[in-house]
Amino acid sequence: MFNLIKLAAIAAFITALFIVAANAQSTTGTVSMSATVSKFVEINSGGAVTLSGNSGGGVTTDGTLNNPLAVVVNLGELGPSNVNSFVTASVPLKIRSNAAYVLSMSATVTSTGSTANKITSADVGFGLGTVSRTGVGVNTAGVDTNATSGDPTLVANGSVNAGSGRYVYSAGLTNLGAFSSSTTALNGAFIMNAVPRSNANGLTVPAIFAVKPQFYENGTTTVVATFTVTAP
Amino acid sequence: MRKITFTIPLLFCLLFIGGLGNAFAQALDISSGGAPTITGSLGGSVTGSSSVLNDLVVTINFGEISPKNTNSIVKVVVPVAVRSNQQYKVQATVTGSTNANAQALQRTDIGFGVNNFRAMGSNSRVCTNSSHIFSSPFSNDPASNVSINAAGRATYPSTLNNAVSATTILSGPRLSNGNNTRQTDDGYIFDAIFAITPQFYAAGVTSATLTLTISAGPAAPC
Repeated sequence: MFNLIKLAAIAAFITALFIVAANAQSTTGTVSMSATVSKFVEINSGGAVTLSGNSGGGVTTDGTLNNPLAVVVNLGELGPSNVNSFVTASVPLKIRSNAAYVLSMSATVTSTGSTANKITSADVGFGLGTVSRTGVGVNTAGVDTNATSGDPTLVANGSVNAGSGRYVYSAGLTNLGAFSSSTTALNGAFIMNAVPRSNANGLTVPAIFAVKPQFYENGTTTVVATFTVTAP
Repeated sequence: MRKITFTIPLLFCLLFIGGLGNAFAQALDISSGGAPTITGSLGGSVTGSSSVLNDLVVTINFGEISPKNTNSIVKVVVPVAVRSNQQYKVQATVTGSTNANAQALQRTDIGFGVNNFRAMGSNSRVCTNSSHIFSSPFSNDPASNVSINAAGRATYPSTLNNAVSATTILSGPRLSNGNNTRQTDDGYIFDAIFAITPQFYAAGVTSATLTLTISAGPAAPC
């Protein structure tokens, strides 16, 4: 009788524990969340290319707003038969970022000529024009630093060399000779406030290329400029 | 003497087992309502039990929410099971997710809503004198109700910022039949939905914890 009672007690106790475990209840639950925001930058076309002062030539592949930048421009005749003072191509860029950015450029210039009178990288003027931060969602208070001298056709950015008679651009980041390796052209504060990617606004700036028609050695010249934006 | 020695624990255990019934008669329980899901993420994940018998412990990694994620929204659905044999309320309280930089992810950038209230099974209590009510403004799917404010930022009808202090998101009459031990068919399930629109947020990592608590609720006769 005693053993029966003892066994019953043990069984009851174990059963009680089992019931407690099986029916564990809780009045609270938790949902823990985390998210990551990485630095993000992008460069796209800021719109159509403007070509002026050209004789022949034209825009072969135009820029399309907010699409990847891949324009092709034929500057046309750059010899003295072109009586314009400059052939200028203005290529709008659009940059967007959620962090401070750096816009760099590198360029190569190759000519078929064989003498010092062929077109060289120093004969292709370059500069970034007015930087614009406008539109909803843009950090309009952000400050940008243009490392170039702006429009290369400005009087201050070039002149005829007194000794050689050749038109040359001023010292500094005024021509593609200064961009034989990747060189910072523009940098600044974050561009976009917290808005979705579908917001199409951003920072726009024209990249201006110019060649002054001169008695260059005849031939053809190819210029390739590569823009890269980073968030260091 | 020995007989008395073992009889007393026996009686105690029997009384304890009997007492469980009374204890559970006042039971309020919250648990997993099933496997959580995530869509639209880039490198994100969500973990949680698929069993309604397990506690609600969910971990969400929304992943990348900068414009690198080209999806329009990252959405997470967390099924939550609730049981009670009395009127109840479910409250939500958020901690964390504060950033001094206004351009960084804020609580207001994390949409939070609830919907899809449904019975678990045959022992879900059906009450005809009161309704289960999602509290305003939480009764929505934030992923389907995104709007853009004047500043260009994505907004939602309700966000984690609406649950900075304990805030009732759901209340109603008794939820369960039976003795209210946690079963697979003795309560109701609703979906807690979280949503983030990838945007040009300031870079960084943000975390937050939402605690859901069930307790005795306002009068809601069954």
